[in-house]
Order: sequence, then C-alpha cells, then structure tokens
Amino acid sequence: MPEVLVVDDSKVMRDMVVACLRPYPDSRFTQASSGLEAIEQLSLKPYDLLVLDLNMPDIGGIEVVEFVRGQDHLRELPIIIVTTRGDEASRERALQAGANRFMTKPFTPDSIQGAARALLEKTPAEASRG
Amino acid sequence: MSGSGEFAEFLPAYLAEVDELLASAQKDLLAVEEAVRKGLAQPRAVRELFRALHTLKGLSAMVDVEPVVSLAHWMEASLRLADQAGGRLPESSVEPMVEGLRAIELRVRQLSAGKTASPAPANLLERLEALGPQVLDAAPKRARPVKLDAEAAFASRLAPSEREQLEGGLAGGQRALRLDFVPSSERAAKGLNINTVRERVAKLADIVKVLPLSGAAAGGASLAFALLLLTRAEDAVLLDAVGGPPATVRSLEAAVPAGATGVPGEVPGEAPGAVVGGVLPPGAGLPGAAVLEEELDEPEVRRGGGLLRVEVSRLDEAMEWLAALVVNRSRLTRAVAALTQAGAPTRELNAILQENGRQLRDLRSAILRLRMVRVGDVLERLPLLVRGLRRATGKAVRLELDVGDAELDKAVADRLLPALVHLVRNAVDHALELPEERQAAGKPPEGLVRLSCHARASGQLELTLRDDGKGVDAKAVAKAANAPVPDSADALLDLLCRPGLSTRQEATRTSGRGMGMDIVRRIVVEQLGGELGMETRKGVGTTFTLSVPLTVTLMDAIVFECSGRRYAVAVGTVEELIDVVGVVRPAGAEGVGLVERRGTAVPLVSLARLLDTAASGDAGAGTKALVVRQRGEPVAFAVDRLLGQQEIVLRPLEDPLVRVPGVAGATDLGDGQPTLVLDLGALGAARALRRKRAARAGEWVS
Repeated sequence: MPEVLVVDDSKVMRDMVVACLRPYPDSRFTQASSGLEAIEQLSLKPYDLLVLDLNMPDIGGIEVVEFVRGQDHLRELPIIIVTTRGDEASRERALQAGANRFMTKPFTPDSIQGAARALLEKTPAEASRG
Repeated sequence: MSGSGEFAEFLPAYLAEVDELLASAQKDLLAVEEAVRKGLAQPRAVRELFRALHTLKGLSAMVDVEPVVSLAHWMEASLRLADQAGGRLPESSVEPMVEGLRAIELRVRQLSAGKTASPAPANLLERLEALGPQVLDAAPKRARPVKLDAEAAFASRLAPSEREQLEGGLAGGQRALRLDFVPSSERAAKGLNINTVRERVAKLADIVKVLPLSGAAAGGASLAFALLLLTRAEDAVLLDAVGGPPATVRSLEAAVPAGATGVPGEVPGEAPGAVVGGVLPPGAGLPGAAVLEEELDEPEVRRGGGLLRVEVSRLDEAMEWLAALVVNRSRLTRAVAALTQAGAPTRELNAILQENGRQLRDLRSAILRLRMVRVGDVLERLPLLVRGLRRATGKAVRLELDVGDAELDKAVADRLLPALVHLVRNAVDHALELPEERQAAGKPPEGLVRLSCHARASGQLELTLRDDGKGVDAKAVAKAANAPVPDSADALLDLLCRPGLSTRQEATRTSGRGMGMDIVRRIVVEQLGGELGMETRKGVGTTFTLSVPLTVTLMDAIVFECSGRRYAVAVGTVEELIDVVGVVRPAGAEGVGLVERRGTAVPLVSLARLLDTAASGDAGAGTKALVVRQRGEPVAFAVDRLLGQQEIVLRPLEDPLVRVPGVAGATDLGDGQPTLVLDLGALGAARALRRKRAARAGEWVS
C-alpha cells in the first residue's frame, strides 16, 4: 500500500492531487500545507511518493528536494513536482536537485497518475532515469 | 462558465479558497501601498502578495478560468521581480495592481453567480505587463549599514527580499534572531509541530524564513528548524512558544556575538558559527528534555493547534442533521408526554430526555462555534473599498477598525457585509466633506470613519459606524422625500430608509445620506432580525448602530397560539411575558390599547388583528401578552395562549415572493406542521409604516 505525501499550500490543490491519484491501487494519502511540514512528516514516517508544489511559504519545493536528497534514507524517494505555469525556469533546477518528474498546472488526472505509476512500479534506478 | 475541465466539481472549494486569497492579497496590497507612500520596502507583504497571486493562478488554471490566470500571471510576474529586488514596488504599480485584484474579484463573483468569467480587459493586461521594467527600476541601489551574521543566518539561502527584511528590521530597532526548534514524534502527538510552532511564534515575531537543518543531535533528534525572526519579544517568551529547551535563540546581528544574549537553557560556550552547512552538530542544545515534558503537559498543547479549512456546505450539512435531531426530540417529548398522561411509568424516559436535551444543546453550540468567523476577517475588504472611494471622491479619509476578537456566524457575516459596505460608502461618498470644506469648518482635512464592534452576552453583535462628516440634513431629506421634516432621529432614519429616496437624492445631490439605506435596513432588520439606529448632528457627524444576532439558524423560542394558529418568537427578543389584566384603555378600531405593567402604561397590540386573523369583535381579546422592544420602547403583543418554550430550527423564507416583514422564517415544531416564526418588533413597525402610508394615500385621494 503506497504511502503518498501531497504537499501544497492550497487545500483545494491538495484535494485535486489526491482525487487524481486515488484510483491508484490502495494508496494512502497524507497532506502537508508547507515544505516545512513535509520535511517534518518525512522525518517521522516513511513514504513511497512525494508530490510537491514549488511555491510555498518559508521554503519552496526546490529547497525541500535539496533537503530530501541530502538525507541518506530519503535519497531514493520518488518526487513529482506539480507547479504553476511560470515556474518553467525552475524545471532545470528542480530536476538537477533530484526531482523525478516535473508537471505544470493545469495537469490532467491521467498525466499525474501515469507519473505516479511509473515511479512507484519501477525500480529506483529506472525511476530516476524517468 | 469555466470549470468545464476535469476539475469542475472543485469549483465551490475553488471559490471559497480564492475568496480567502483575494482578501489576504487586498490586505497585503494596502500594506505595500502604505510602504510605497513612505518610501519604504515592504518585503513581507510583497512576498505574501506574490504567493497569493501565484496560488490563485495555479488554482484558476486547474479549473480553467483563463481570464483570472492571465490577470494573476502578469501581477505575479512583476511581484516576483519586486521580491528579487528587495520587496520594493514603484508607486506607479499600485493602481494597476488594485485594478487587477478588482478585475479578478469581479470574475470570481461572476463564477459564483453561475456565469462565465468575462475576458480580462486587454488594456489592463498591457498595463500589468508593463510593470516589470518599472519594478526593476525601483530596486534599491544603496548600501546597508547593518550586517548579518552570515553563518547564523545561512546568508546564501536567503532571498534578497528576506535579507532586505532582516536588515531593514535591524535598522528599525528590532532584534533579528534565530530560534531553533527540534521536532519529534512525541511532541507532534502533543500538538507541537512546525505548523503550531509557526503559529505561536508568528504572534510574537515576524517570521522572515524557516530553514530545515539535518544531522544527528542528542536525544535522537535528526532534524531541527531554524526560524529567522524579527521581534521585540523576550528570548524567554520565544523559547516558551517553541516548547522550551532544546530550543535555542541567538542573535543574527554580526556585531553581537552569539551567546551574549543570555538565553536560559542555551548551551554555554556555543560558538556563533556552530551550525555549519545546515548540519546540527551532535549535542547542540538539547538538555532538559524532562522539563520539556512537564511544560508540554498543558491542555492547550495536548489538544493540538492548527487550522482546518472546512467548506461551509459541510457545516451546513452537519447543521441539517442536528436540525433533524432537534425536530425528532420534539416528537419524542410529545410522545413521552402522551405516555405520562396515559399513566405509563415514564420517570426514567424523562430523565433520558432531559440528558438528551442537554447533549443536543452542547452539540449545537459546538457546531455553531465551528461556523463562527472573525469579524476582523469579514471586514478585510473595507480598507480597499475606502481606498477606492478616496480616489473617486478626492476626499481624505481615515478608516479605523476596532473589532477585537469578536466572531459571528458565517451566514450572518455574509449577509451583513453588503450592509456595512453600503454604510461605509455612504459615509465617504456623502457624509464626509472635501478637505477644503472641512478646513473651512474648523475640522482636520482628513475625515474619519470608524467601525467598532463587540459581542454581547445576549448573543448579539453590536456594531457602530461613526463618521465626523456634516451630519444628515433633515430638511433636505424631507424635501427629497416630499414629507414633513422629521422630528426625531428615528423618524429621520425612517425617511432615509424609504425605497426610492436614494435615486432622487443622487440626482439632485441635495443631501449627504440615503444611498441604499432601504437595503441596509432590509438586511439588518428583516433578513437578520436585528436593529438599526442612527444619531446625527449637523456639522459634527453621524453614527449608525447595528445590532444583529451572532447566529440565526437555531434558537430558543416561545411558542404560542393566536386565533387558533401556532406561532413562535425568539426568546431573546421577548423582554417579558405578562397577563393581560389592568387594561388601561381597550383596543379600538386600530387594535392598539394600553395595558398596565408595573405602574406604567404600555401599548397593547392585538396580534390577531396585526396578522389579520381576528374574527370580528375579538380584537385584543388575548389573555397573555409578549412584551417586545420596538425602537427602544416596550410594546405588548396580546396572544391567546402560551404553549411553552423550546428550541427551534429557523428556516428562512428564501423565496422573495413570500418574504414578509415581521416574519423571520418558519419552523417545524416536531409534528410536521410548518409554524411561522415571528419578529414582533419588525411586525409592529411594518404595520405602523403601512398605516402611515395608507393615511398619506388617503390625503392625496381627498
């Protein structure tokens, strides 16, 4: 049963992401409203997938990715960045920092589900190759 | 409309969240404007404004509201530049931004009304797009006198605006500090997590940035959060807010060596640069865990903090279920009463019923509390409204809001806001004089509009809106209304609230007041069952007082019978129940008599006649009367029989065709029959008004 952590400061956006991923078999969702809360959650419990917004209060998604990749136990955690148009310039930075996928809003349920499936069902090495 | 995409079902939630985002964006934009006027940077407000618009854009893209996406996009783009330039916006950018927010708000309103959002105005988009280069020109080019402790502040991880904010705060006499918080599962279980810590600290300081730090620390902690703050609060207070040790505080100012702050619980000898590269060194400041457990053992912490956003429709649903329970309980009560009357042993049943009643009451207040919103949040739109009026009228106006922590039901708040907007608009548009007129009258050039409110124990919210303008010109109003000059403030208010008066006044500009006052009264008195009062002095100003119930959905009511029909009134509106003895003067043709109450004569109104249900000859024949205040004066309403007191669910009569003054709504008392809930004060007033009009009509005819 994959544990998914969905991080966005917008409650509606988190709900949308969860609604898109819910059909994925047996997944369980935790929501966090900031990058800091996400980091705290990740330090308390293991997750199988992180869906992350870029622009949030205090620290942005890229800083979260950098932090996560700096932790031994989180180095392989699959990360999907879901962000607003206008953050295109951040794509390179996010992927360089270690994000596995980069999707811009508006996304479709199919696209995010496809990304989640690819990351959850592949081996870590495959996932990092995309 | 939009929302045609995959996420159309999220539209209601979208509208609710966008509403909040717009309210906070408006507040931040006003803060930015204030700073611009003073030639200062406002990095925090710029950043918050940017984030609100960024989120708005993303959400609008998801539900396919392209006009909002475009507007938000260009505003966001220049705010991003402003953030990078240290939180400074040029003065020329404020007006287009205000227009941009207004344009977004308009489109969101169109969506909530089920319409299609109109396209974004092309010239506004062009102006917003042109802001970018102007923002870059406004970037500061001067050197800063204050230096930060680069290591303690993680200088490389600070955005320019964050750095600007820290340095600006230091230069302004605030302390720039780093407060470290170490989270753990135990603390999270007790409600102390980064979110609650953030909320607590935000009450004591401006949080500029929070950075996560990883590394093995004593006590098994592998993670800490460094909160970079600007504050005037004491170290001990800050430490307390994050649960005490192992939290630490240190200064961010380069000139002051860390460790010199004398923080209780701080590790002696810790060097300023002890935290290097974002790694918490082993053993850094983690003593006293046992003390921490003690301190955490407070109910407030145990219960956990944090905010949960809930759609109003879900609360309405909970309310509906509760309403069904209340109605069911009434049925149960009747059934038990019937059993008792039939001689069955019902003692235990009655005890259960009593307990059940208490539980329902508790549940009711719990749900009602969930529906309460802060009045301050409701009024967030008013400063922007006044700003717009200031520009449109050329008047200098200061808006003061003194609303404290008062709260009221979301449904009441939603209805009340348009009334307040009308009153504030009237105050600025009509009541306040132009600066030169004010000076000629010996007043300061800037006018004052002050809105204050507080909740009363009786379940009412009292609001006062005062202006120091020219006061209402009774003669001019009377002339415009083609009526005699009123002899009291109440009578003047009656004239002002006449539908249609506003149009004439607006056309002739004869007086300062009147725009939409009929709407204000309709909202306050008829829709909310409240009271509206006014005091005015020529040349000195006008004060409106509004008293509205904090909540309207569930209430304790007195149930009575009149001409064979049952009615209910809210207990809170009834001052006293009296027996109709000692009638000083019986009711005449008008159905109004006088009854003695503790040595004073009180008007006695036949409710049966008022409701036109009286059979001929029995007007005013009721044996009981409910005493209600009508414009501050007691009036007794005669009824046939009192049936008791019970909790009712008030259902508003939404259909405008059946909306009647004096009828607050309808309820089900448990037998499935609809019962009208009356507002006796409003009913009496409406009747008096009808009589006056009829008399006037008669004069014309003759």
